Amino acid sequence: MARKKRLNFLVSLASVPLFLGLWELVSRAQIVNPVLFPSPSVVLAALQDWIASGDFTLDLISSVARVSAGFIIGSVHGIAMGILTGRSAFFSALVGPVFQILRPIPPIAFVPIVILWFGLSETGKLFLIVWGVFFTVWLATHLGVQKVDDGLIRAARMLGTPRRRLLYEVIFLGALPFIFVGLRTAVSISFYTLVAAELAGAFSGIFYRIEVAQQNMQTGRVMAGLMVLGLISFLADRGFASLSQRLVWWR
Amino acid sequence: MLSLISNSFRSDASTRLESDHRMPASESEIDVSDLSIVFDGAHGQVIAVDRVSFTARRGEFVCLLGPSGCGKSTLLNAIAGFEQPYAGTILVSGKRITGPGPDRGMVFQQPHLFPWKSVRSNIAHGPRMNGKTRAEARAIADDLIAMVGLSRFANAYPHTLSGGMQQRVSIARALANQPRVLLMDEPFGALDAQTRAIMQDSLLKLWSRISATIIFVTHDIDEAILLADRVLVMSAGPGRILSDITVGLPRPRTLELTLDTRFLALKRECFALIKEQSARAFDAAESRS
Repeated sequence: MARKKRLNFLVSLASVPLFLGLWELVSRAQIVNPVLFPSPSVVLAALQDWIASGDFTLDLISSVARVSAGFIIGSVHGIAMGILTGRSAFFSALVGPVFQILRPIPPIAFVPIVILWFGLSETGKLFLIVWGVFFTVWLATHLGVQKVDDGLIRAARMLGTPRRRLLYEVIFLGALPFIFVGLRTAVSISFYTLVAAELAGAFSGIFYRIEVAQQNMQTGRVMAGLMVLGLISFLADRGFASLSQRLVWWR
Repeated sequence: MLSLISNSFRSDASTRLESDHRMPASESEIDVSDLSIVFDGAHGQVIAVDRVSFTARRGEFVCLLGPSGCGKSTLLNAIAGFEQPYAGTILVSGKRITGPGPDRGMVFQQPHLFPWKSVRSNIAHGPRMNGKTRAEARAIADDLIAMVGLSRFANAYPHTLSGGMQQRVSIARALANQPRVLLMDEPFGALDAQTRAIMQDSLLKLWSRISATIIFVTHDIDEAILLADRVLVMSAGPGRILSDITVGLPRPRTLELTLDTRFLALKRECFALIKEQSARAFDAAESRS
């Protein structure tokens, strides 16, 4: 059993190099047009070129800043609204139906109207990411708050916990495992939405650079951009998963 | 007749150590009068508690004994302030109950400990919420942890403890605000028989060191007689008090007492009442379905 496990671990280590090797082979063998389908070595060279030009740092910072700001603003409001609707049947009845209708609209569908509303400003991009994050976090928090063990609430009230403290001490902490599931989903969503946001017109950013490279037929840089997007959203997701394991360890 | 016998036991045991602080026991701590509680059920209103009256003296240990569904937990929850009376009043220390408060500690059937808090922080929560400083709350918690024999586990988290240990923490937590009244809702019902016997024993020892009035809900006749000064036997829904039995067995009590003839006489009396009520409750449930 242990041997099988170790073998599978080694195989998992070989997964990425094998993929890259196969890709290099297909590209070099000229089975496909190498201009449209550049090999990993070409992509790597394009990435080095991109970094050397100085654009890369700026693009990375712009994109990460957009995602972070949108994620934080969207999550804070989503959590606050989720606690409100989770605790108050009145508020839930008031805003729940509206949220449920707005929630499934893909953020990318808002790009045209956002351009009309905000032009090419950062506000519009922030709006799209906040939109994407908010509903996911709201719904997770709302459900989490409703699932808080009623026994814990009664125990806290029996001990004389004031209503305001109850909100943090029991409701928020009790819902935290659910909130973190919502936040982790929102991390991926904020990266999807980043693409829509930079599609709405930008002057820097990873996806903005992908678009520019596409117009210049720089397929190596396009692929490098995709790799970078994949890598940072992977790192964000992993980082968030380990953070949530540390913060909600009792689950 | 029974009360005569028990009174003589009482005088026999007047030197017992654990009740010294309870000797001027005439003052009533809990005063329930004409209490009715009504629920809105699926098929209209259901009377859970029907015109119940009783008092508990300061420092007294009272068991509410009855078949499941007889409204004994509802009655306890009303004293805790979680259920509102439909009619009647509940006075605790002369004050009318309008909601839960730190003067009444409660131990639930399940421990309901805060999973993100250590044993010490769970117990310190009550004092912290009632204006004690961090250091004061910690000192109170550490005293109680020692009292329930969990000093080695002060920093442990609830999920690492056994069911019996969790319930000890829950009892310590309920006592941390130094409540005048301790309400216990079948606190040992979910434990295995051995653990339950140990918990009953340690509850009695603990009670001898604090000056709280205890209302203890159970459906276990042995448990009720072993623990209580008085057993209130309740009828199956709607909940009424059928009989108020003074136990009067000497303290300190141990498990061996359950073989005593006086114990068995009380048990027989309770059993006859409960048997009839359980049958009624069963028939009622059958005819409803």
